[in-house]
Formats: sequence, structure tokens, C-alpha cells
Amino acid sequence: MVANEPTIEQTIETDDIIVCRDVHKWFGDFHVLRGITTTIKKGEVVVVFGPSGSGKSTFIRTINRLEEHQRGDIFVDGIALTNDTRNIDAIRRDVGMVFQSFNLFPHLKVMTNITLAPMKVRKLPAKQAVAQAMELLERVGIPEQADKYPAELSGGQQQRVAIARALAMQPKIMLFDEPTSALDPEMIKEVLDAMRELATSGMTMIVVTHEMGFAKEVADRMMMFDDGVIVEEGSPEQIFEAPRSDRTKLFLSQIL
Amino acid sequence: MSANSVLSAPLILPPPRTETGMVGWMRANLFSSWHNSAMTVVATISLVLALWFGLGWILLEANWAVVPTLGGRIIIGQYNIEAACPGQNCFWRPQAALLLITALLGMAWAVAGGGVTKRIALVVGGAAAAFAFLPYGLDQMGLDVRLLLLANLPALAAGWALARYTRLGSASWIAILSVIAFILTLVLLRGIPGVPLLHPVAVIYWGGLMLNLLLAVAGIALSFPVGIVLALGRRSRLQVVKLLCIVFIETFRGVPLITLLFMSQVLVPLAFPENFPQNSLVRAAIVITLFSSAYMAENIRGGLQSLHPGQVEAARALGLPGWQTTLFISLPQAIRNVIPPIVGQFISLFKDTSLVYIIGMLDVVEISRAFIQGNPEYLANAKELFIFLALVFWVFTYGMSYVSRRVEQHLGVGER
Ligand SMILES: Nc1ncnc2c1ncn2[C@@H]1O[C@H](COP(=O)(O)OP(=O)(O)O)[C@@H](O)[C@H]1O
Ligand SMILES: [Mg+2]
Repeated sequence: MVANEPTIEQTIETDDIIVCRDVHKWFGDFHVLRGITTTIKKGEVVVVFGPSGSGKSTFIRTINRLEEHQRGDIFVDGIALTNDTRNIDAIRRDVGMVFQSFNLFPHLKVMTNITLAPMKVRKLPAKQAVAQAMELLERVGIPEQADKYPAELSGGQQQRVAIARALAMQPKIMLFDEPTSALDPEMIKEVLDAMRELATSGMTMIVVTHEMGFAKEVADRMMMFDDGVIVEEGSPEQIFEAPRSDRTKLFLSQIL
Repeated sequence: MSANSVLSAPLILPPPRTETGMVGWMRANLFSSWHNSAMTVVATISLVLALWFGLGWILLEANWAVVPTLGGRIIIGQYNIEAACPGQNCFWRPQAALLLITALLGMAWAVAGGGVTKRIALVVGGAAAAFAFLPYGLDQMGLDVRLLLLANLPALAAGWALARYTRLGSASWIAILSVIAFILTLVLLRGIPGVPLLHPVAVIYWGGLMLNLLLAVAGIALSFPVGIVLALGRRSRLQVVKLLCIVFIETFRGVPLITLLFMSQVLVPLAFPENFPQNSLVRAAIVITLFSSAYMAENIRGGLQSLHPGQVEAARALGLPGWQTTLFISLPQAIRNVIPPIVGQFISLFKDTSLVYIIGMLDVVEISRAFIQGNPEYLANAKELFIFLALVFWVFTYGMSYVSRRVEQHLGVGER
């Protein structure tokens, strides 16, 4: 080891918002993440893809600590992810997440789904929370659904409510775990449009998706996962036109 | 409209005649196949026979006089006897408590604005007032008693107006006032030494339906929160907490209530300090609450387990701390999912309150049994009396399941 080697903290640059160094995770004996090292800059849109079971969901879930990693380091917005619950709560406030199965709260109206966390966690007064929720519903194109229950909405509308709900916490980072794979084809576009708009607004986004049209158009960088490692990363042009890894080539040939 | 669109418009036809109306319904539901038809015929014949003989007996043969003879005892037990309440008529005290309840129901009606709450309020207030016109010269039922029963109607109206026109008209105020009313009821019934009209009445004299209802209300109101705490404790990651909850739940579920009531006579005095109000009523309430919370805990745990894990994940991902996730996300959904078993449990709790006869309390069933035993001339009419009691229990339990069905429908909105 070289003397005066800089600590990880010292190597983080000011515009690095997510830093992963050699992240490992096991489910029991099963080695799911086998050394993930990557850095994501503020405002970057990263598309993660790869075969089913390769660890994509697990990877993005470690970033807001829905899963705990067992080796390596993760820094989100300069805060180290450790067992310190204050850190975890602070990070979860800054990281929004959108799930494949929407996970809206079925017993609460759309409006309350969106205002609950800002009011309880950020202590936003009710009036402001409602006004903000209406703005967000306008932004995702469904202001008229505020007073309905989630089950009264179509899948595409539900997913847009889920996006609005995450944005209501004013996160710095948004994570999407296959946001369109539970949707009927005619509804995929409305959700991708909302995400595209979000990307244009400068949000840092990690999106697990196999919507390659969206990736080509919106992603700054793409990341191919296989067997718990990042097989290859690069710009969409490079990934689609000149993939370096045979596994990437094979996978893309299967899905395109 | 072009000719083309008229031609291509799909025809909208009325359904075939046999499918609609009475005949259609009967054909579809009662006579859809030969065995369905056979069942319908057999059931109809049995029903007609049962009604024929049942109604015949009820109207012509049965002698219902035993019910008014027992009269107020059915409702308040020995609360009003000379030994309990010397030199006074104490019937007004439980009646005043009833007025509090009707007034609260009136408030609830104004807040809910109709529906099931309104119906319950009208049925309770109306029934109480109607009792004032019973044709019998009931034992203990003088003019004062009848006027107090009638007063339930103005009480209902007053409660309604109070909630409608003052700041007290909100669900949280009604909850607070209900707790106050319950405490007030206990004070009213117990009495205060030295206060002229509130001569203390020992709890051994409390009885009748009043006792069953007091124990049921206390048991339900207390076992609900205790059950929630136990259910959460059993799922806790803290192993000691988890173990304690499991031991508690399995102990109280594993022993018959009747045994627990027996044991309470011996154990509760050991477990509580000497100056703790020690009497059969408190002991019975504690035991019933603990017994019921064990079942409640398992019902609620079932509800928690039926939740999709994505619900908690979504809440945690939004930054809600664990306790808020439980309070706002998990518990409301879990409880909604298990309303039917919870109400079923409350119904059996209400019926189980009759078991307190085992520790010498005269609940509505026991006071009736004791009456028949002490007045052999009514032995032949015991069946009328107990059929009447069955009806009383049925009315209350049916009321509970009716309310629960309406609550379920109401909460079902978001599910679909
Ligand atoms: N909670 C869990 N317990 C055990 N194994 C899990 C758990 N979650 C995921 N896995 C396993 O980890 C692997 C990676 O899962 P996941 O990250 O969901 O993959 P992907 O999102 O790429 O399809 C899969 O083999 C999956 O079965
Ligand atoms: Mg996945």
C-alpha cells in the first residue's frame, strides 16, 4: 500500500452524487452483487439493463438501503450508507423510488398518497403540501384524478401518481425499477413521457428498463448487468453500435 | 347521420323475456336444475311448517307474562333492590347513562350525516322511547321511569343539534366524549359516598343486560389497542419483546375463559396493589380483556401478514420512519383486511360475558335462571323466558354484524 493514499471521501468530486466502491451483497449463501464499482454524476441519466436475476433491482435497492450491502462502500450525496439510521433516513428523503408494481397506498386517495410523506417527514403545512401535489399531478398530466383511490386509475395513471409521490419529497435522485414492465403497451408511452420530461429537467436518474428506444434517446450512460457484475458501461451509441462484451452483444440481440 | 352509420351501428336489444323479472329470477336461482328445484320445494315446505307451528305457539300457546314479571331485572339485575339501594329508587341512574349513549349516537348521526349511523341512532333512541309505552305495569316501572325512557328522544335530538351547531361536531370529539361518557356511566352507577342521590351501589348488585353490555364495551375498547400492541410485538425484531408477546398470546388463548375467570378470583388480588379497586367486575373486565386481546393480536397479525411487502418498502423509500409506516400504512390496511374475523370475535366476546355467572355475578342469563329457580310457579314458562333472552342476544349481535358489513362496504371503495 502506498503511503498517503487518499481516502475514498477525498477522491469524491463535488459533482459525484452516487459513488459505489466494490459493493458486495449476499442473500444467505447466494452472492448477488459481486463487486460493483461505479460513479454517477449530478444530473446524469443512467439506464441499467441485463438478464433477469442479474442483480439490477438489488443494486438500485442498495442505493436507498432497501437492501443492505455487506462489503464495500456506497456514498450518496456525500453521506456514507452505514447502519446509522439517521444517515439512512436522510438519504431516503433525498432518493425517490418508483417500483414496477407502483406500490401506491390503496387505502388513501391519490392526493393523500402524494401529501403524506411531505407532511409527516418534511413537516410541510397541509396547504402547501396540497398545492405542491396539484402541481406535480399537472406535471405528470393527471390533475383530475386527485380525489380518486388508486384502484380507480389505470396502470399508466397509477405509475404517474407514483412518480408524483416520489417527486413530492423533492429528491435529488430518482430510482426507477422497471417502471413500465407491468403496463399494457398503450400505457407505456405516457409513463416514459413523464420520465423523459423529468430527465430534461436535470434530475439524476437511475432507470432499470428494457425500453431501448427510451434508453437511446434519454440515457447519458448505459450499464449492462450480468451475474452481479457490471459487464460493460458506455454511451448508448457505443453500447448499441459497438458493444465490447460478447454477453452484451448476445443480450441485445435477444431483446431487440 | 349517414345511411352507412345507421346500417353498421350494432343492434342494442332488450334481454329475452325469461331472463328478467320475477319469473326470470326464480328460474335462474330456484329452479335452475332438478336438484335445485327439489331443494327449493323441500325448503319451502319446511319453512311453511316451521312458521305454522312456530307462530302458532308464539301467538296462542306461549305465556310471555314471565318476561314483564322479571321486568327491569332483565335490564339492570339487582341494581335496584332494597339491599343495593336502600330507601331510594336507583333505576334512574342506568337510565341516565342510557341518555348519555343516545345523545352520543345523535352526535354521531349529525357528523356522519346519515347512513348506518343514522339508522342505529334512530333504532336505539326509538326503541328506548317505545319501552315507555309497554302495556304492562312493570315491576319498578313507575311514571318517572317511563318519562326517563321517553327522554331518549330529546336526548337524541340534543346530541344531533350539539354536533350540528357547535364545534363538538367532529369524530375526534365524539371519541373523546365517548370515553368521558363511559367513565361518567361508571361513576353514576357506582355512586359517590355522601352524595344524597348517588348512594354507592356495590358491584355485586350490578347485573342484567347492563352488566353484559358494560363488560362487552370495556372488553372491546381495551382489547383492541392491547391486541394491536401484541400483534406488533410478536412481529418485532427484538427477540425478548417477541418472546414475551408469544408467551402472553399462547397462554391466554390456550386456557378456557371460564378457567381464567375462576383463576382471576385468586390471581388478580396477588398481581395488583392492595389499594387497586378490587371487585368481581374489575376482575372480570381484566380477564375478558386479556383473553380477547390474545385473539385480537392473532387476527391483526394475520392482517399484517396479508400485506404486500411493497407497501412497507414504498413508505420506507419515501423516508417515513418505521413507526409512521406502521401507523399510517400497515395498520389501517391490516385492520381493514380482517374486519370480519375481528367483528366475529367481538360478537363472541359479547356472548361470553354471560360466563361471569361463574364468579357470582348475575348477568342477564343468570338472573333469569335464578328467577325461575326461586319462583317454581314459572318453571313451565322457562322456555318463553330463554327464547326471549336468545332474541335479545340476537338483536345485539345482528346489529354488530350489520354495522361491520356496512363499514366494510364503506372502506371497500379503494380496493376494487
Ligand atoms: N430477498 C431476496 N432473498 C433471496 N434472494 C433474492 C432476494 N431478492 C432477490 N433475490 C435473488 O437475487 C437475484 C437477483 O435479483 P434481482 O436483483 O431482483 O434481479 P433483477 O432485478 O436483475 O432481475 C435473483 O436470483 C433473485 O432470485
Ligand atoms: Mg428486477
